[in-house]
Amino acid sequence: MNLPPATSIRQDKENEMVYDDSLSFVYLGPTKIIFGSGSSTSELESEMSALGCSRAVVVTDPGIIKAGLSEKIVKTLGDKCVGVFSDVPQDTGIDVVNRGAAFAREKGADIVISIGGGSVIDTAKCMCILLTEGGSLANYEGIQLLTRLQTPHIVIPTTAGTGSEVTWVAVIYDKDKGQKILIVETYNAPRAAILDPQLTLKLPPLLTASTGMDAMTHAIEAMTSVQREPMADAMALHAIRLLSTYLPQCIKDGSNLHARGQVQLAATMAGWAFGNAMVGIVHAMAHSIGAVARVPHGVSCGILLPYCMDFNISDGDEDAIAIYATIAQALGVSTRDDEPKKAAMAAVNEIFALLKRIEHPIKLSAFGVKEADIIKAADLSIADGAIVNNIRCVSDKEEVLAVYRKAL
Amino acid sequence: MAEAFKAFTQEWMDEWKKTINASKEYKEIAKDWEGSVSITVNADPSKNVPEPVYMFTDYWHGDALDFLICDNAKAQTAKFIMSGDYSRWKQVAKKELDATKALMQGKLKLKGDLTYVVRNVKTINKVVDLLTEVNTIFPDEV
Repeated sequence: MNLPPATSIRQDKENEMVYDDSLSFVYLGPTKIIFGSGSSTSELESEMSALGCSRAVVVTDPGIIKAGLSEKIVKTLGDKCVGVFSDVPQDTGIDVVNRGAAFAREKGADIVISIGGGSVIDTAKCMCILLTEGGSLANYEGIQLLTRLQTPHIVIPTTAGTGSEVTWVAVIYDKDKGQKILIVETYNAPRAAILDPQLTLKLPPLLTASTGMDAMTHAIEAMTSVQREPMADAMALHAIRLLSTYLPQCIKDGSNLHARGQVQLAATMAGWAFGNAMVGIVHAMAHSIGAVARVPHGVSCGILLPYCMDFNISDGDEDAIAIYATIAQALGVSTRDDEPKKAAMAAVNEIFALLKRIEHPIKLSAFGVKEADIIKAADLSIADGAIVNNIRCVSDKEEVLAVYRKAL
Repeated sequence: MAEAFKAFTQEWMDEWKKTINASKEYKEIAKDWEGSVSITVNADPSKNVPEPVYMFTDYWHGDALDFLICDNAKAQTAKFIMSGDYSRWKQVAKKELDATKALMQGKLKLKGDLTYVVRNVKTINKVVDLLTEVNTIFPDEV
Protein backbone atom coordinates (compact mmCIF):
# COMPACT_ATOMS: atom_id res chain seq x y z
CA MET A 1 0.00 0.00 0.00
CA ASN A 2 1.43 3.38 -0.95
CA LEU A 3 -0.45 6.16 0.76
CA PRO A 4 0.93 9.66 0.38
CA PRO A 5 3.71 9.87 2.94
CA ALA A 6 2.64 11.13 6.35
CA THR A 7 4.21 14.31 7.55
CA SER A 8 7.53 13.37 9.01
CA ILE A 9 8.25 14.13 12.62
CA ARG A 10 11.67 14.82 14.03
CA GLN A 11 13.10 16.28 17.16
CA ASP A 12 15.11 19.46 16.86
CA LYS A 13 18.30 20.15 18.81
CA GLU A 14 16.21 21.00 21.84
CA ASN A 15 14.31 17.70 21.49
CA GLU A 16 11.14 19.54 20.54
CA MET A 17 8.86 17.69 18.11
CA VAL A 18 8.75 19.47 14.73
CA TYR A 19 6.97 18.78 11.42
CA ASP A 20 8.60 18.76 8.01
CA ASP A 21 7.78 21.03 5.07
CA SER A 22 5.26 18.63 3.50
CA LEU A 23 2.79 19.47 6.27
CA SER A 24 -0.72 19.91 4.86
CA PHE A 25 -3.93 19.33 6.79
CA VAL A 26 -7.49 20.39 7.58
CA TYR A 27 -8.50 20.78 11.23
CA LEU A 28 -12.15 20.94 12.21
CA GLY A 29 -13.50 21.80 15.64
CA PRO A 30 -16.91 23.39 15.10
CA THR A 31 -18.41 22.62 18.52
CA LYS A 32 -18.57 25.41 21.11
CA ILE A 33 -17.45 24.26 24.56
CA ILE A 34 -19.02 25.55 27.77
CA PHE A 35 -17.29 24.22 30.85
CA GLY A 36 -18.00 24.62 34.54
CA SER A 37 -19.50 23.01 37.60
CA GLY A 38 -23.27 23.46 37.38
CA SER A 39 -23.06 24.69 33.78
CA SER A 40 -25.61 22.10 32.61
CA THR A 41 -28.30 24.11 34.35
CA SER A 42 -26.84 27.62 34.51
CA GLU A 43 -25.75 27.93 30.87
CA LEU A 44 -28.20 25.82 28.89
CA GLU A 45 -30.97 28.34 28.37
CA SER A 46 -28.65 31.07 27.17
CA GLU A 47 -26.93 28.66 24.79
CA MET A 48 -30.33 27.72 23.40
CA SER A 49 -31.21 31.38 22.94
CA ALA A 50 -27.86 32.06 21.29
CA LEU A 51 -28.82 29.44 18.71
CA GLY A 52 -32.19 31.13 18.21
CA CYS A 53 -34.09 28.18 19.67
CA SER A 54 -36.90 27.98 22.17
CA ARG A 55 -38.42 24.48 21.88
CA ALA A 56 -36.13 21.69 23.04
CA VAL A 57 -36.57 17.96 22.98
CA VAL A 58 -34.33 16.29 25.54
CA VAL A 59 -32.88 12.92 24.50
CA THR A 60 -31.60 10.64 27.24
CA ASP A 61 -31.82 7.06 28.53
CA PRO A 62 -33.59 5.33 31.43
CA GLY A 63 -30.33 4.98 33.41
CA ILE A 64 -29.70 8.73 33.31
CA ILE A 65 -33.26 9.42 34.45
CA LYS A 66 -32.94 6.83 37.26
CA ALA A 67 -29.66 8.42 38.37
CA GLY A 68 -31.45 11.76 38.55
CA LEU A 69 -29.01 13.43 36.15
CA SER A 70 -31.58 14.88 33.74
CA GLU A 71 -34.26 16.02 36.17
CA LYS A 72 -32.69 19.34 37.18
CA ILE A 73 -31.81 20.17 33.60
CA VAL A 74 -35.34 19.54 32.35
CA LYS A 75 -36.74 21.55 35.25
CA THR A 76 -34.43 24.46 34.43
CA LEU A 77 -35.70 24.53 30.87
CA GLY A 78 -39.30 24.86 32.04
CA ASP A 79 -41.61 25.58 29.10
CA LYS A 80 -38.64 25.53 26.74
CA CYS A 81 -38.55 21.75 27.09
CA VAL A 82 -41.36 20.46 24.89
CA GLY A 83 -40.67 16.78 25.59
CA VAL A 84 -38.28 14.15 26.90
CA PHE A 85 -37.39 11.15 24.73
CA SER A 86 -35.76 8.60 27.00
CA ASP A 87 -36.28 5.42 25.00
CA VAL A 88 -32.61 5.05 24.02
CA PRO A 89 -30.99 1.63 24.62
CA GLN A 90 -27.26 0.97 25.10
CA ASP A 91 -26.71 0.22 21.40
CA THR A 92 -29.04 2.57 19.57
CA GLY A 93 -30.70 1.76 16.27
CA ILE A 94 -32.43 3.29 13.27
CA ASP A 95 -35.84 2.45 14.76
CA VAL A 96 -34.94 4.43 17.89
CA VAL A 97 -33.84 7.41 15.79
CA ASN A 98 -37.06 7.26 13.76
CA ARG A 99 -39.18 7.21 16.89
CA GLY A 100 -37.16 10.03 18.43
CA ALA A 101 -37.40 12.19 15.31
CA ALA A 102 -41.17 11.58 15.02
CA PHE A 103 -41.56 12.55 18.68
CA ALA A 104 -39.52 15.73 18.24
CA ARG A 105 -41.43 16.67 15.08
CA GLU A 106 -44.77 16.12 16.77
CA LYS A 107 -43.66 18.37 19.62
CA GLY A 108 -42.49 21.07 17.22
CA ALA A 109 -38.93 20.99 18.54
CA ASP A 110 -36.37 23.38 17.06
CA ILE A 111 -33.38 21.99 18.99
CA VAL A 112 -32.24 18.64 20.37
CA ILE A 113 -30.48 18.41 23.73
CA SER A 114 -28.78 15.12 24.52
CA ILE A 115 -27.91 14.12 28.09
CA GLY A 116 -25.92 10.90 28.31
CA GLY A 117 -23.15 8.84 26.78
CA GLY A 118 -22.27 7.74 23.25
CA SER A 119 -25.52 5.97 22.39
CA VAL A 120 -27.71 8.90 23.46
CA ILE A 121 -25.48 11.43 21.67
CA ASP A 122 -25.44 9.40 18.45
CA THR A 123 -29.23 9.02 18.54
CA ALA A 124 -29.59 12.79 18.91
CA LYS A 125 -27.12 13.45 16.07
CA CYS A 126 -29.19 11.30 13.71
CA MET A 127 -32.50 12.79 14.89
CA CYS A 128 -31.13 16.21 13.87
CA ILE A 129 -30.58 14.96 10.31
CA LEU A 130 -34.11 13.60 10.01
CA LEU A 131 -35.60 16.77 11.49
CA THR A 132 -33.82 18.89 8.87
CA GLU A 133 -33.75 16.67 5.82
CA GLY A 134 -36.67 14.30 6.36
CA GLY A 135 -36.71 10.91 4.65
CA SER A 136 -34.97 7.80 5.87
CA LEU A 137 -31.71 7.66 7.77
CA ALA A 138 -30.47 5.05 5.30
CA ASN A 139 -30.26 7.85 2.69
CA TYR A 140 -27.51 9.48 4.76
CA GLU A 141 -25.32 6.44 5.31
CA GLY A 142 -21.92 7.56 4.13
CA ILE A 143 -19.53 10.48 4.39
CA GLN A 144 -20.21 14.20 3.94
CA LEU A 145 -23.44 13.91 1.97
CA LEU A 146 -25.12 16.90 3.62
CA THR A 147 -24.82 20.41 2.22
CA ARG A 148 -26.18 22.56 5.04
CA LEU A 149 -26.20 22.88 8.81
CA GLN A 150 -28.64 20.54 10.56
CA THR A 151 -31.06 21.07 13.44
CA PRO A 152 -29.08 22.51 16.38
CA HIS A 153 -27.87 20.00 18.94
CA ILE A 154 -26.44 20.71 22.38
CA VAL A 155 -24.67 17.81 24.08
CA ILE A 156 -24.43 17.39 27.83
CA PRO A 157 -22.18 14.35 28.35
CA THR A 158 -22.45 12.24 31.48
CA THR A 159 -19.29 10.20 30.89
CA ALA A 160 -15.73 11.33 30.14
CA GLY A 161 -14.11 9.27 27.45
CA THR A 162 -15.80 8.82 24.09
CA GLY A 163 -15.32 12.39 22.85
CA SER A 164 -18.65 12.04 20.97
CA GLU A 165 -19.62 15.53 22.08
CA VAL A 166 -17.18 17.03 19.56
CA THR A 167 -17.06 14.44 16.78
CA TRP A 168 -19.25 14.34 13.69
CA VAL A 169 -19.59 10.58 13.49
CA ALA A 170 -22.68 8.61 14.51
CA VAL A 171 -22.83 4.82 14.83
CA ILE A 172 -26.33 3.37 14.54
CA TYR A 173 -27.55 -0.23 14.41
CA ASP A 174 -29.55 -1.14 11.33
CA LYS A 175 -31.78 -4.06 12.31
CA ASP A 176 -32.68 -4.87 8.70
CA LYS A 177 -29.05 -5.20 7.68
CA GLY A 178 -28.03 -6.76 10.99
CA GLN A 179 -25.05 -4.40 11.28
CA LYS A 180 -24.00 -0.97 12.45
CA ILE A 181 -23.96 1.88 9.96
CA LEU A 182 -21.74 4.94 10.06
CA ILE A 183 -22.82 8.48 9.32
CA VAL A 184 -19.98 11.00 9.07
CA GLU A 185 -21.13 14.59 8.61
CA THR A 186 -19.25 17.72 9.59
CA TYR A 187 -22.48 19.70 9.01
CA ASN A 188 -23.99 17.65 11.84
CA ALA A 189 -21.37 18.23 14.53
CA PRO A 190 -23.03 19.29 17.80
CA ARG A 191 -23.29 23.09 17.98
CA ALA A 192 -22.33 23.16 21.64
CA ALA A 193 -21.18 20.81 24.38
CA ILE A 194 -21.81 21.72 27.98
CA LEU A 195 -19.25 19.99 30.18
CA ASP A 196 -20.53 19.89 33.73
CA PRO A 197 -18.23 17.77 35.92
CA GLN A 198 -21.00 17.35 38.49
CA LEU A 199 -22.68 14.93 36.07
CA THR A 200 -19.70 12.53 36.17
CA LEU A 201 -19.38 12.36 39.97
CA LYS A 202 -21.43 9.16 40.19
CA LEU A 203 -19.39 7.20 37.62
CA PRO A 204 -18.11 4.02 39.34
CA PRO A 205 -14.31 3.46 39.51
CA LEU A 206 -13.99 0.83 36.76
CA LEU A 207 -16.08 2.90 34.35
CA THR A 208 -14.09 6.00 35.27
CA ALA A 209 -10.82 4.14 34.64
CA SER A 210 -11.87 2.51 31.38
CA THR A 211 -13.50 5.59 29.84
CA GLY A 212 -10.44 7.57 30.91
CA MET A 213 -8.15 5.09 29.20
CA ASP A 214 -10.35 5.27 26.10
CA ALA A 215 -9.61 9.01 26.08
CA MET A 216 -5.89 8.39 26.70
CA THR A 217 -5.87 5.99 23.75
CA HIS A 218 -7.61 8.56 21.53
CA ALA A 219 -4.93 11.09 22.41
CA ILE A 220 -1.91 8.82 21.98
CA GLU A 221 -3.22 7.17 18.80
CA ALA A 222 -4.07 10.55 17.23
CA MET A 223 -0.43 11.53 17.69
CA THR A 224 0.85 8.29 16.17
CA SER A 225 -1.60 8.26 13.26
CA VAL A 226 -0.32 8.78 9.73
CA GLN A 227 -2.88 11.62 9.63
CA ARG A 228 -1.34 13.39 12.62
CA GLU A 229 -1.11 17.17 12.49
CA PRO A 230 -0.08 19.92 14.90
CA MET A 231 -3.53 21.17 15.96
CA ALA A 232 -4.67 17.67 16.87
CA ASP A 233 -1.29 16.99 18.50
CA ALA A 234 -1.68 20.06 20.71
CA MET A 235 -5.08 18.83 21.90
CA ALA A 236 -3.74 15.32 22.39
CA LEU A 237 -0.67 16.39 24.34
CA HIS A 238 -2.67 18.42 26.82
CA ALA A 239 -5.22 15.63 27.14
CA ILE A 240 -2.37 13.25 28.01
CA ARG A 241 -1.03 15.67 30.64
CA LEU A 242 -4.45 16.07 32.26
CA LEU A 243 -5.34 12.37 32.20
CA SER A 244 -2.00 11.36 33.60
CA THR A 245 -2.42 13.70 36.57
CA TYR A 246 -6.14 13.65 37.24
CA LEU A 247 -7.42 10.20 36.28
CA PRO A 248 -5.72 8.60 39.32
CA GLN A 249 -7.22 11.34 41.50
CA CYS A 250 -10.73 10.50 40.22
CA ILE A 251 -10.17 6.85 41.12
CA LYS A 252 -8.86 7.72 44.56
CA ASP A 253 -11.77 10.04 45.27
CA GLY A 254 -14.71 9.92 42.88
CA SER A 255 -16.19 13.03 44.44
CA ASN A 256 -13.16 15.17 43.54
CA LEU A 257 -14.97 17.70 41.37
CA HIS A 258 -11.80 19.40 40.18
CA ALA A 259 -10.24 16.13 39.01
CA ARG A 260 -13.50 15.07 37.35
CA GLY A 261 -13.58 18.33 35.43
CA GLN A 262 -9.99 18.02 34.22
CA VAL A 263 -10.65 14.47 32.99
CA GLN A 264 -13.80 15.65 31.22
CA LEU A 265 -11.81 18.39 29.47
CA ALA A 266 -9.14 15.86 28.53
CA ALA A 267 -11.72 13.52 27.00
CA THR A 268 -13.10 16.36 24.89
CA MET A 269 -9.62 17.43 23.74
CA ALA A 270 -8.79 13.84 22.89
CA GLY A 271 -12.09 13.68 20.94
CA TRP A 272 -11.00 16.64 18.83
CA ALA A 273 -7.58 15.07 18.35
CA PHE A 274 -8.77 11.72 17.05
CA GLY A 275 -11.77 13.23 15.23
CA ASN A 276 -9.24 14.98 13.01
CA ALA A 277 -6.25 12.65 13.02
CA MET A 278 -7.98 9.26 13.45
CA VAL A 279 -6.86 6.27 15.53
CA GLY A 280 -4.66 3.23 14.86
CA ILE A 281 -3.77 -0.29 15.88
CA VAL A 282 -5.14 -0.12 19.44
CA HIS A 283 -8.61 0.70 18.16
CA ALA A 284 -8.40 -1.89 15.39
CA MET A 285 -7.56 -4.53 17.99
CA ALA A 286 -10.10 -3.24 20.54
CA HIS A 287 -12.91 -3.23 17.93
CA SER A 288 -11.98 -6.79 16.98
CA ILE A 289 -11.70 -8.29 20.47
CA GLY A 290 -14.93 -6.48 21.33
CA ALA A 291 -16.68 -8.17 18.41
CA VAL A 292 -15.25 -11.63 19.17
CA ALA A 293 -15.28 -11.75 22.99
CA ARG A 294 -17.47 -8.80 24.02
CA VAL A 295 -14.66 -7.07 25.94
CA PRO A 296 -15.88 -3.52 26.70
CA HIS A 297 -14.27 -0.97 24.39
CA GLY A 298 -12.62 1.26 27.00
CA VAL A 299 -11.21 -1.71 28.90
CA SER A 300 -9.69 -3.32 25.82
CA CYS A 301 -8.17 0.01 24.74
CA GLY A 302 -6.55 0.41 28.14
CA ILE A 303 -5.17 -3.12 28.23
CA LEU A 304 -3.85 -3.05 24.66
CA LEU A 305 -2.43 0.50 24.62
CA PRO A 306 1.00 -0.10 26.21
CA TYR A 307 1.59 -3.31 24.26
CA CYS A 308 0.76 -1.54 20.99
CA MET A 309 3.02 1.40 21.90
CA ASP A 310 5.84 -1.08 22.50
CA PHE A 311 5.08 -2.70 19.13
CA ASN A 312 5.14 0.67 17.34
CA ILE A 313 8.66 1.52 18.50
CA SER A 314 10.16 -1.95 18.46
CA ASP A 315 11.22 -1.67 14.80
CA GLY A 316 13.28 1.42 15.63
CA ASP A 317 11.19 3.86 13.57
CA GLU A 318 12.57 7.33 14.31
CA ASP A 319 9.24 9.14 13.87
CA ALA A 320 7.50 6.82 16.32
CA ILE A 321 10.33 7.16 18.82
CA ALA A 322 10.29 10.98 18.53
CA ILE A 323 6.53 11.10 19.11
CA TYR A 324 6.58 8.73 22.07
CA ALA A 325 9.49 10.70 23.55
CA THR A 326 7.27 13.79 23.40
CA ILE A 327 4.40 11.81 24.94
CA ALA A 328 6.78 10.77 27.74
CA GLN A 329 7.35 14.45 28.51
CA ALA A 330 3.57 14.98 28.69
CA LEU A 331 3.30 11.96 30.98
CA GLY A 332 5.93 13.57 33.20
CA VAL A 333 8.45 10.74 32.96
CA SER A 334 11.03 12.32 30.70
CA THR A 335 12.70 15.62 29.95
CA ARG A 336 13.93 17.12 26.70
CA ASP A 337 17.48 16.12 27.64
CA ASP A 338 16.71 12.40 27.61
CA GLU A 339 17.83 10.16 24.81
CA PRO A 340 14.72 9.64 22.55
CA LYS A 341 14.63 5.82 22.61
CA LYS A 342 14.96 5.75 26.37
CA ALA A 343 12.23 8.41 26.69
CA ALA A 344 9.92 6.49 24.34
CA MET A 345 10.29 3.34 26.47
CA ALA A 346 9.60 5.43 29.57
CA ALA A 347 6.25 6.40 27.99
CA VAL A 348 5.36 2.74 27.47
CA ASN A 349 6.31 1.85 31.04
CA GLU A 350 4.39 4.79 32.42
CA ILE A 351 1.17 3.62 30.75
CA PHE A 352 1.64 0.23 32.44
CA ALA A 353 2.19 2.04 35.74
CA LEU A 354 -0.86 4.26 35.19
CA LEU A 355 -3.07 1.21 34.62
CA LYS A 356 -1.95 -0.14 37.99
CA ARG A 357 -2.51 3.21 39.73
CA ILE A 358 -6.07 3.44 38.47
CA GLU A 359 -6.75 -0.25 39.15
CA HIS A 360 -7.53 -0.89 35.52
CA PRO A 361 -7.52 -4.51 34.30
CA ILE A 362 -4.20 -5.37 32.66
CA LYS A 363 -4.91 -8.69 30.94
CA LEU A 364 -7.60 -9.71 28.44
CA SER A 365 -7.89 -13.14 30.10
CA ALA A 366 -9.59 -11.39 33.04
CA PHE A 367 -12.56 -11.01 30.65
CA GLY A 368 -12.56 -14.66 29.65
CA VAL A 369 -10.62 -14.12 26.43
CA LYS A 370 -9.03 -17.33 25.12
CA GLU A 371 -6.33 -18.10 22.55
CA ALA A 372 -9.02 -19.01 19.98
CA ASP A 373 -10.59 -15.57 20.44
CA ILE A 374 -7.37 -13.68 19.78
CA ILE A 375 -6.71 -15.74 16.65
CA LYS A 376 -10.11 -14.69 15.29
CA ALA A 377 -9.59 -11.11 16.47
CA ALA A 378 -6.17 -10.88 14.79
CA ASP A 379 -7.85 -11.75 11.47
CA LEU A 380 -10.45 -9.02 11.99
CA SER A 381 -7.86 -6.46 13.11
CA ILE A 382 -5.94 -6.65 9.85
CA ALA A 383 -9.17 -5.76 7.99
CA ASP A 384 -10.17 -2.97 10.39
CA GLY A 385 -10.05 0.50 8.88
CA ALA A 386 -8.22 2.01 11.84
CA ILE A 387 -5.11 -0.08 11.28
CA VAL A 388 -4.22 1.74 8.05
CA ASN A 389 -3.68 4.94 10.04
CA ASN A 390 -1.15 3.37 12.39
CA ILE A 391 2.34 4.86 12.34
CA ARG A 392 3.86 1.40 11.90
CA CYS A 393 2.54 -0.34 8.81
CA VAL A 394 0.84 -3.58 9.84
CA SER A 395 0.05 -6.10 7.12
CA ASP A 396 0.71 -9.45 8.78
CA LYS A 397 -1.87 -10.87 11.18
CA GLU A 398 0.91 -12.71 13.03
CA GLU A 399 2.26 -9.33 14.17
CA VAL A 400 -1.14 -8.46 15.64
CA LEU A 401 -1.49 -11.91 17.19
CA ALA A 402 1.87 -11.51 18.92
CA VAL A 403 0.63 -8.28 20.53
CA TYR A 404 -2.63 -9.95 21.60
CA ARG A 405 -0.66 -12.82 23.16
CA LYS A 406 1.35 -10.39 25.28
CA ALA A 407 -1.90 -8.80 26.48
CA LEU A 408 -3.70 -12.10 27.06
CA MET B 1 7.61 5.71 -22.71
CA ALA B 2 4.19 4.25 -21.87
CA GLU B 3 1.23 5.34 -23.95
CA ALA B 4 -0.65 8.28 -22.42
CA PHE B 5 -4.44 8.30 -22.03
CA LYS B 6 -6.81 11.23 -21.66
CA ALA B 7 -8.46 11.10 -18.26
CA PHE B 8 -12.18 10.31 -18.06
CA THR B 9 -12.32 8.62 -21.47
CA GLN B 10 -13.35 5.02 -22.11
CA GLU B 11 -9.79 4.21 -23.29
CA TRP B 12 -8.43 5.49 -19.98
CA MET B 13 -10.99 3.41 -18.06
CA ASP B 14 -10.01 0.32 -20.09
CA GLU B 15 -6.34 0.85 -19.29
CA TRP B 16 -7.09 1.30 -15.58
CA LYS B 17 -9.11 -1.93 -15.57
CA LYS B 18 -6.29 -3.74 -17.42
CA THR B 19 -3.77 -2.52 -14.83
CA ILE B 20 -5.96 -3.71 -11.96
CA ASN B 21 -6.54 -7.13 -13.49
CA ALA B 22 -2.81 -7.55 -14.07
CA SER B 23 -2.00 -6.96 -10.40
CA LYS B 24 -1.48 -10.11 -8.31
CA GLU B 25 -1.28 -7.97 -5.21
CA TYR B 26 -4.71 -6.48 -5.97
CA LYS B 27 -6.22 -9.94 -6.47
CA GLU B 28 -5.04 -10.95 -3.01
CA ILE B 29 -6.04 -7.73 -1.23
CA ALA B 30 -9.45 -7.54 -2.93
CA LYS B 31 -10.40 -11.21 -2.71
CA ASP B 32 -13.39 -10.40 -0.47
CA TRP B 33 -14.63 -7.25 -2.26
CA GLU B 34 -18.04 -7.47 -3.89
CA GLY B 35 -19.73 -4.60 -5.68
CA SER B 36 -19.60 -1.49 -7.78
CA VAL B 37 -18.33 2.01 -7.17
CA SER B 38 -19.37 5.03 -9.21
CA ILE B 39 -17.29 8.17 -9.41
CA THR B 40 -18.75 11.56 -10.24
CA VAL B 41 -16.38 14.35 -11.22
CA ASN B 42 -18.15 17.67 -10.80
CA ALA B 43 -18.02 20.04 -13.77
CA ASP B 44 -15.25 22.64 -13.73
CA PRO B 45 -15.25 24.58 -17.00
CA SER B 46 -12.13 26.50 -15.96
CA LYS B 47 -10.24 23.18 -15.97
CA ASN B 48 -11.68 21.91 -19.27
CA VAL B 49 -14.34 19.78 -17.56
CA PRO B 50 -17.46 21.49 -18.98
CA GLU B 51 -19.94 18.81 -17.83
CA PRO B 52 -19.97 16.38 -14.91
CA VAL B 53 -18.27 13.06 -15.69
CA TYR B 54 -19.88 9.84 -14.46
CA MET B 55 -17.89 6.62 -14.23
CA PHE B 56 -19.07 3.17 -13.20
CA THR B 57 -16.58 0.58 -11.96
CA ASP B 58 -17.43 -2.92 -10.82
CA TYR B 59 -15.31 -5.38 -8.80
CA TRP B 60 -15.82 -8.96 -7.70
CA HIS B 61 -13.45 -11.05 -5.59
CA GLY B 62 -10.24 -9.63 -7.00
CA ASP B 63 -11.40 -9.02 -10.56
CA ALA B 64 -12.29 -5.72 -12.19
CA LEU B 65 -15.47 -6.18 -14.28
CA ASP B 66 -17.33 -3.33 -16.02
CA PHE B 67 -15.40 -0.05 -16.22
CA LEU B 68 -17.60 2.41 -18.04
CA ILE B 69 -18.11 6.10 -18.71
CA CYS B 70 -21.83 6.36 -18.00
CA ASP B 71 -24.70 8.71 -17.26
CA ASN B 72 -25.97 9.90 -13.89
CA ALA B 73 -28.75 7.30 -13.80
CA LYS B 74 -26.26 4.43 -14.13
CA ALA B 75 -23.91 6.03 -11.58
CA GLN B 76 -26.73 6.12 -9.05
CA THR B 77 -27.14 2.33 -9.28
CA ALA B 78 -23.68 1.61 -7.84
CA LYS B 79 -23.26 0.09 -4.39
CA PHE B 80 -21.00 3.01 -3.48
CA ILE B 81 -21.40 6.47 -4.96
CA MET B 82 -18.42 8.80 -4.71
CA SER B 83 -18.36 12.40 -5.88
CA GLY B 84 -16.15 15.45 -5.73
CA ASP B 85 -14.59 18.36 -7.56
CA TYR B 86 -12.23 17.78 -10.47
CA SER B 87 -9.23 19.23 -8.65
CA ARG B 88 -9.71 16.81 -5.74
CA TRP B 89 -10.01 13.77 -8.00
CA LYS B 90 -6.88 14.87 -9.84
CA GLN B 91 -5.02 15.09 -6.53
CA VAL B 92 -6.21 11.58 -5.64
CA ALA B 93 -5.27 10.19 -9.05
CA LYS B 94 -1.79 11.71 -8.75
CA LYS B 95 -1.45 10.33 -5.19
CA GLU B 96 -1.11 13.83 -3.79
CA LEU B 97 -4.19 13.25 -1.65
CA ASP B 98 -5.17 10.09 0.22
CA ALA B 99 -8.75 9.17 -0.76
CA THR B 100 -9.68 8.13 2.78
CA LYS B 101 -8.34 11.38 4.21
CA ALA B 102 -10.17 13.35 1.51
CA LEU B 103 -13.45 11.69 2.51
CA MET B 104 -12.96 12.40 6.20
CA GLN B 105 -12.07 16.03 5.45
CA GLY B 106 -15.13 16.57 3.27
CA LYS B 107 -13.11 16.98 0.07
CA LEU B 108 -14.91 13.97 -1.43
CA LYS B 109 -18.34 12.52 -0.66
CA LEU B 110 -19.36 8.88 -0.34
CA LYS B 111 -22.81 7.33 -0.20
CA GLY B 112 -23.02 3.71 0.92
CA ASP B 113 -22.09 1.27 3.65
CA LEU B 114 -19.18 2.98 5.30
CA THR B 115 -18.35 0.06 7.57
CA TYR B 116 -17.75 -2.05 4.44
CA VAL B 117 -15.47 0.64 3.04
CA VAL B 118 -13.60 0.92 6.34
CA ARG B 119 -13.08 -2.85 6.45
CA ASN B 120 -11.84 -2.84 2.86
CA VAL B 121 -9.86 0.38 2.83
CA LYS B 122 -6.75 -1.46 1.61
CA THR B 123 -8.65 -2.51 -1.52
CA ILE B 124 -9.65 1.07 -2.23
CA ASN B 125 -6.13 2.34 -1.70
CA LYS B 126 -4.79 -0.34 -4.04
CA VAL B 127 -7.26 0.61 -6.80
CA VAL B 128 -6.11 4.22 -6.49
CA ASP B 129 -2.47 3.12 -6.43
CA LEU B 130 -2.96 1.24 -9.67
CA LEU B 131 -4.59 4.26 -11.27
CA THR B 132 -1.38 6.19 -10.72
CA GLU B 133 0.36 3.59 -12.90
CA VAL B 134 -1.77 4.67 -15.86
CA ASN B 135 0.02 7.40 -17.79
CA THR B 136 -2.70 10.05 -17.65
CA ILE B 137 -3.23 13.37 -19.41
CA PHE B 138 -5.60 15.47 -17.33
CA PRO B 139 -8.10 17.87 -18.98
CA ASP B 140 -6.34 20.97 -17.69
CA GLU B 141 -3.00 19.73 -19.01
CA VAL B 142 -4.13 19.34 -22.61
